[in-house]
Amino acid sequence: MLNPINVSLESLNLITLAPMLIPVIGALLILVIDVIKGGLDKSLYIVLSILFLALDFGALLNSAGIFTRDGIMLGMFNVMLIDGLAILSQFIIVATSMLFIPLAFTHKRFHEFSYPEFFALFLFMISGFQFMVASDNLILIFVGLETASLALYTLIAMHNRDKSFEAAVKYFTMGALAAGFYSFGSMVFYALTGSVEINQIATVLAANEYADVGYVLVAVTFLLASFGFKLSLVPFHTWAPDVYEGSSAAMAGYMSIVPKIAAFVVAMRLFEFLIHSGVVWLEIVLYIFVVVTMTAANIWALVQTDVKRMLAYSSISHAGFVMAAILIGTTQSNSALFLYWILFSFTNLGSFSMLWMSRQKHLPEHQMSDHSYDKFAGMIKTAPVAASIMGLFMLSLAGLPPFALFWGKLYMISSAVTGGYTGLALIMALNSAIAGYYYIKLIVYMFMKEPVMGNDGHVYVANATLALKSIIGFAAVGTIFAFVALNPILEFVTAFVYNSGY
Amino acid sequence: MLDHILSVLIFFPALAGVFGFAIQKDSIRAYGVAVAAIEFALSLWLWFAFDNSVSGMQFMENIPLVPAFGINYILGVDGISLFIIILAAFFTMIGIASLTDTPNVKNMIVTLLFLQMTMIGVFAALDAIVFYVFWELSLVPMLYIIGAWGGPLRVYASVKFFLYTFTGSLVMLVGMLFMAYFFYQATGTWSFAILDWYRLILPESFQLWLFAAFFMGFAIKVPMFPFHTWLPYAHGQAPTIGSVILAAILLKMGTYAFIRFSLPLFPDASVYFMYPIAVISIIMIVYTAMVAYAQKDVKQVVAYSSVSHMGVIILGTFALNVEGITGSIFLMIAHGVVSGALFLLVGVIYDRRHTKMMDQFGGLAHVMPKYATIFGLMMMASVGMPLTINFVGEFLSLLGFYQQSHILTLLAGIAIIVGAIYMLAAYKKMFFGEVTIEENRNLPDVNKRELVALVPLAIITIWLGIYPKPILDPINNSVESVVQLMHNKSTTEEAKKRIPNISGVVISKTSATEAH
Repeated sequence: MLNPINVSLESLNLITLAPMLIPVIGALLILVIDVIKGGLDKSLYIVLSILFLALDFGALLNSAGIFTRDGIMLGMFNVMLIDGLAILSQFIIVATSMLFIPLAFTHKRFHEFSYPEFFALFLFMISGFQFMVASDNLILIFVGLETASLALYTLIAMHNRDKSFEAAVKYFTMGALAAGFYSFGSMVFYALTGSVEINQIATVLAANEYADVGYVLVAVTFLLASFGFKLSLVPFHTWAPDVYEGSSAAMAGYMSIVPKIAAFVVAMRLFEFLIHSGVVWLEIVLYIFVVVTMTAANIWALVQTDVKRMLAYSSISHAGFVMAAILIGTTQSNSALFLYWILFSFTNLGSFSMLWMSRQKHLPEHQMSDHSYDKFAGMIKTAPVAASIMGLFMLSLAGLPPFALFWGKLYMISSAVTGGYTGLALIMALNSAIAGYYYIKLIVYMFMKEPVMGNDGHVYVANATLALKSIIGFAAVGTIFAFVALNPILEFVTAFVYNSGY
Repeated sequence: MLDHILSVLIFFPALAGVFGFAIQKDSIRAYGVAVAAIEFALSLWLWFAFDNSVSGMQFMENIPLVPAFGINYILGVDGISLFIIILAAFFTMIGIASLTDTPNVKNMIVTLLFLQMTMIGVFAALDAIVFYVFWELSLVPMLYIIGAWGGPLRVYASVKFFLYTFTGSLVMLVGMLFMAYFFYQATGTWSFAILDWYRLILPESFQLWLFAAFFMGFAIKVPMFPFHTWLPYAHGQAPTIGSVILAAILLKMGTYAFIRFSLPLFPDASVYFMYPIAVISIIMIVYTAMVAYAQKDVKQVVAYSSVSHMGVIILGTFALNVEGITGSIFLMIAHGVVSGALFLLVGVIYDRRHTKMMDQFGGLAHVMPKYATIFGLMMMASVGMPLTINFVGEFLSLLGFYQQSHILTLLAGIAIIVGAIYMLAAYKKMFFGEVTIEENRNLPDVNKRELVALVPLAIITIWLGIYPKPILDPINNSVESVVQLMHNKSTTEEAKKRIPNISGVVISKTSATEAH
């Protein structure tokens, strides 16, 4: 006869679940509202989403307070792990989502925003990402990852264009493959160590001194491939440009930030102990991944004719740049990862919002794609303010001081220098120089060419509303004055990373 | 206000530039001149308040920016940077004043004001990261000036200019991060302050690598042979104002940075690389002089002659003694005045004929006598005639290097004399002989607006050629302390021998001030 299991509620430490459950409740509420009274305007759902995300943010602040006081928290049968990494990445995820969701306030009507399901899925996705980063358990990570990814595929497809369906199906297929790789890799680790908890795996592997290093390598290979897909590392990146092109600019910008920070945190938890334990092979492979991803993506970006595809390749390159932090694996480099990603999310929010604002429903004849370079030719003459702001974001992406991303690059390269990776530091610097070219190319089009005939500048603000303009203004201010907030952010991030033992 | 005069000097033009967007289009030129004149007056006030007898930094400001990573907003001037700041303010002023009819003149003037911010920032910054911020930021306005107002190949020229310098600076940035890391290892705190770095003595092997990393950034900016290929394009395509600012101020950033960073931070490496760099400078002087002789475009002649003279500046800098470095700093100012004036002069004739080809001219001395006189004066200054400003700098630079190597100095001296040939030849082609082309017969002589820019330059050229003391003294004071620092910091015997010990001089100076 089975004994009833007694679990005291305190030991579950339900507070650890609060930040993830808030968006879930929000999503369910949105669905319920739609059932009770259909056909309500999108503005209701947008604002509701923002409110729930704000609550989520509040819950995170609470967790951060507890973390600074008591240190790492475990909950739900020790499946949940609320450490500094989890809190920092959730801050980035929730804050970025809050900034991206107002982009649905467009001037033109778009298909996806007329469904309340869009916003429900959006909130489910955020909760999925939050679960993913706040756990040490390979199974819960997997559940979070798949919840988020499946929601994301649907969100892309809801843009309702041929290219969007193509993008969603492509992303789904690649994602499914990655999920397969992930589960296989986790299985091998479970077979080796009898645990799915990353810290347990580390302890067991260390205890028998990596006797089965061959199997460890098999597991790492599969996991690396799976994260390669999620982080769009070369050569697993092929989906990225097509998916970015197919989805709306707002969604593409979102995808370049939030799913990646979630994947970075898991990669950090998983790979850093392996590198530190002297699995030399992994270090070499990761080194190659980092260098190839940065360089190859930069070179592909040089030859793009569409700004969105260029930004897609540039995001791949930035991901490679940040992946270096995991390779270096010092406290400074891990802090640099978060610092970089916070600054990157500001800049990318701005640049993709600029594209989103100029989204046309019907393309004129001379224009091959939504955001071809030609479209931006001579923008300074017709829309000087918009051109200056777009130029600002490009300069920031290129890493020109004193704009936001420069400081991220500075700290990241410095962490490579301090970590003893001199060659890597030089490669990172030179890659920034290569990247300079394609960002400058857009500036050249905007500032130095003549506008295409019949372009009166209206196209750049075709989609503009007050909400969109405020978001862009916010991103621009954040990009210019990043240096003011740098010190508190850096101290906060370093303290959190250090206290989580990374 | 004097406590923060450097911040005011840096950010006043930028603030004025932001407000410039609100000015009506027809009034923008007056606004630009007014702002630049106020800025120039402020820079003169800085000179007035500057204490000539102090060799260290003055008007220092220090605001923590990112204390967790040792980045502080530190500013200060000494005799080395003071006059380049004044020169930058001066050239922005006469550049805006002499601006000819330009499309989108408002954007141009606002861009120039932003450029001025970055230029003064570079020379006033005493924190490596702040220095780097202004150094890189200066690329953007110049990119826009060349790319939007330049000639037919302007996009290519501007992008080449940007990428070349951007690449070099990123290598330099890695060097700076290493330097900060070594400082962190030695002291346990992060710092990017240059004055903190001065106290750090590095082993020679580290110095060599760091010197090479910084060299990449500076050499491309100067530009030194063989990294000079971006410059003729940039000059060839840039509008007159762009060339003037580029030649007069922006190139000086590189040579200034050698004196501010490379020499005092890496004295042993400087001695180690002295001969290779001297050889490169001599190649630079000779080779670019020969290329200049082959040019058909008068602006290219001036551009290559400008590179050629930069070689003399580098040679003086790497003499590593007081005479050479003082001479090279003086020559920076002289070169700024003379080549800036020459580019303005080329702009004058280009506005009238819309060509810069020398075979389109000839006999201009008959048609435009005033123009020919000023051009002749500047050309003489450019070839280094005694009693003109360039002579003082060139003489001191060569005198300094003579103490290191007689042969190389002799070669450089001959090269400079040979260099006179192309300038004289160009002058002959343009101004002497009969007027052969009908269009040239009725060209108007220089007008008032052009004289406003050219006459002050001509006066400075002669005044400082005859009486350079007011500038040489403060420069000399600061250079002495730099050389002494280098001597004290150097570790190898070779370096101790090459870099003179002048502590006797310094002691007598301090006692003199105390007595005073």
